[in-house]
This record gives sequence, structure tokens and C-alpha cells, in this order.
Amino acid sequence: MYRPGTGWLHRRPAGPKLALFAVVAVVVAALPPVWATVPAAVGVAGCLYALAGMGLGEGLRALGCQAWGLRGMIAITAAGQLIFLGPEQAAANTARVAAAVLVAGLVPLTTPVSAMLDALERGLRPLRLVGVDPARVALLWMVTLTTIPVLARHAAEVRDAQRARGLRPSPVRGTLPFLVVALRHADDLGDALTARGIR
Amino acid sequence: MTDRPATLRCDRLTARLGDREVLRDVTLDLDARTTAIIGDNGSGKSTFARLAAGLVRRASGGLRVLGLDPERDAADLRRRVALVLSNPDAQIVMPTVAEDVALSLRSLRLPREERGHRVAAALERFGLEALADRPAHDLSGGQKQLLALCGAFVRAPDLVVADEPTASLDARNARVVADHLLADTGHALVLVTHDLALARRCERAVLFQDGGVAASGIAADVVDLYERALAC
Repeated sequence: MYRPGTGWLHRRPAGPKLALFAVVAVVVAALPPVWATVPAAVGVAGCLYALAGMGLGEGLRALGCQAWGLRGMIAITAAGQLIFLGPEQAAANTARVAAAVLVAGLVPLTTPVSAMLDALERGLRPLRLVGVDPARVALLWMVTLTTIPVLARHAAEVRDAQRARGLRPSPVRGTLPFLVVALRHADDLGDALTARGIR
Repeated sequence: MTDRPATLRCDRLTARLGDREVLRDVTLDLDARTTAIIGDNGSGKSTFARLAAGLVRRASGGLRVLGLDPERDAADLRRRVALVLSNPDAQIVMPTVAEDVALSLRSLRLPREERGHRVAAALERFGLEALADRPAHDLSGGQKQLLALCGAFVRAPDLVVADEPTASLDARNARVVADHLLADTGHALVLVTHDLALARRCERAVLFQDGGVAASGIAADVVDLYERALAC
């Protein structure tokens, strides 16, 4: 998520930045499935992080952290593609998908969530024509994003509770208590949002 | 002290959760600046707090909060009443401390500069200014509850409803949170609590029992009555 900074990318307004990086991510994702795509996709992501105004070292460290966070997705994509499409297409497809996600990841890294919320709300204004409230859609997206770490912590607490009772944590046994905790959290969150004047 | 309308007026108020009647024929008139709501688990305290904050609809009877009807004047009520819950995690929405406080001002549509000033002043008041850019969910339990308070108070509410706000805090943090809640900054406080020492610090108290009001009056007297009942 957001890393405070003063680099050129941090200073860009959220709306144009979102639009620019959406275009770059789509271009990277649309590269052809050939070997040359691998260095090209990785190079684009590497250059953007290195030149993002966080400093070369900090930029590459941020890229490493983001890539490590995607390791599961990269492994599953590569394995699936390798089985059905062969090594060249597997490498190219995995590289362009991972690079597109990494490029998109630069936006939340350099943009405060409140600025993204404002930009999203502005960008979604045309949805008013079909009866959709852009403020609600933007807030829904934001709450979804910020609730992920909370739910991850609840999942860890459920696993700890299972261990404390001498049980080996398992997704099957953990699903129901996790759902109960998550739904209770959703109720409390809804109450808190309403009480803060947010519909 | 400023003149203010009655904080809460209930006239034969009844509330249900599903088929269960959790409040029954509650008639109360709360005018004190600080009122503690005490009683056993399941006695209806939290439902009463949620009714006061406009989060639960009454089944029957009359209810006025700051002179407003919580159902008809819902928008006004939300502007003037803040709610603080026992679980701060459920009240923190945005990733950083300052952004979370700013979220409370979003619906007021203030100019960006004024929003920034109000957030900075609120963070300073609650001693959170050094943590402004920190991830909100990485704070300690006490800091999170202070952040929840900050998010509530930044809207300058006329009434703060707090439902066991010190329940998960250590003694030091509980005292800091209580001091902020009880400080006279122009707001009225309805405080649901199991902490009887904290309840004694309020001006008035109401004792709930089985969904009804068992006693109400000066806080020390009501807490004494409850302690005697507990000792039996």
C-alpha cells in the first residue's frame, strides 16, 4: 500500500496517474506470447519502479516486495500455462500478467488512498446516468481493499484458536468460524460507517 | 456549559432484534452531560446505544435524540451524533491514520484545506499527530481506540454514544480514552460500560435489567445499588 514520498510520481494527480498506468498495464498485458516478451515485460516494470522517484534502491526494493507478494499467483499461472501451452507461452504469459499487476501496483504505492477515492469518484461520475452512486462504488472498492489485511488477521486468529485447542489448522475446519468472524466484522464496520455519516 | 436540548427522551420505547424483545417499555429522560448505562450482559444496553445512534429501529414507543426523530431526521442525527464501539478494528476503514480521520469529514463536503486543518487539529488533540502517516491497522489497541475517538470527535458531534469503549484496553489506555470521552468539549456523552469506576465518573447513570430500566439517577447512587445487587 501507500509509501509516503515526494518523488515526481507521488506529486502527480491521482486521476491522470490512474489512467496512464491503466494504459501501460493494458499494453504490457497485450504483448505477444513470445520469448522476447519476458525481458520486455520485466524491463518495463523494473524501469517504472526504478524511475518512480523513490530512489533507485528503494524503487527496486518496492518492486521486490510486490513481486514476492505475487509469488503464489506467478507460480500457479506459470504451472498451469506450462502444462497446457508449453514453455515459451507459459513464460511470456506469466511475465506479462505479473508485469501488468506490478505496473498497476505503482499507483497505490505512490498515491494516498483518499486521493484515489476522490479520483475514482470523479471518474465514475458518468455512472450516475444509469442510477449508480459513484461515491458508494468508490467507497465500496476502497473498503474492500483496506479490509483484506483485517480479514487476513482474523484468519490467522482462527488458525491460532485451532492450535490452542490442539487441532491442526485446516481450511475445512477454519472456514465456518472465519465466516462468522468476518460477518460480525462486516456488521460492525457497517454500523461504524453509518455512524460516521457515510451511507 | 452551552444550552442544549434533552439528550435523549424515550417514551415506552420497545425494540426487537428478530423475534426477541430486547428493550421493553423504556421511559427515560436524559439531560445530563454525561450518562453511564450499566447492567448485565444481555440487559439491552448495547441496543439502547444503537437506538440512540440511529442504527436500530424502534418497534414502538417514542424516541427523541437531541430533539430529533432518529428515523425521520436520520441525516441530521448522523451529523450530530457519533458512535464509538468497543472493537476499534471495526471502526478503522482507511489505511493510514490521517486518512481514516479525514474519512469522517467526507460526507460534510468541506473544502480540502479546511478538511486538512480539522484533521490536523483532531490528531493533535488525541496525541496522534506523529502517527499521521502510519498504517492504521498496525497501531496498538490503545492507539486504535484513540484513532476511533479521533474519527468520531473530528465531526464535532453534539452527542457521543460509546459502547464499551474501554473494554479491550489496559488500565493506562482505558484511562486516556475515558478522560477524552468525559472531557467537557461541548458534547454530551452516553457511555455503555461494565467498568463501574468509570460509570461513577459520569453525572448520571441508568441501570438496565432484562430489557427495562431498573434504576436511574445520580451515578454514584445507581452504581452503589448495582453493586449491592451483585453482592446478593
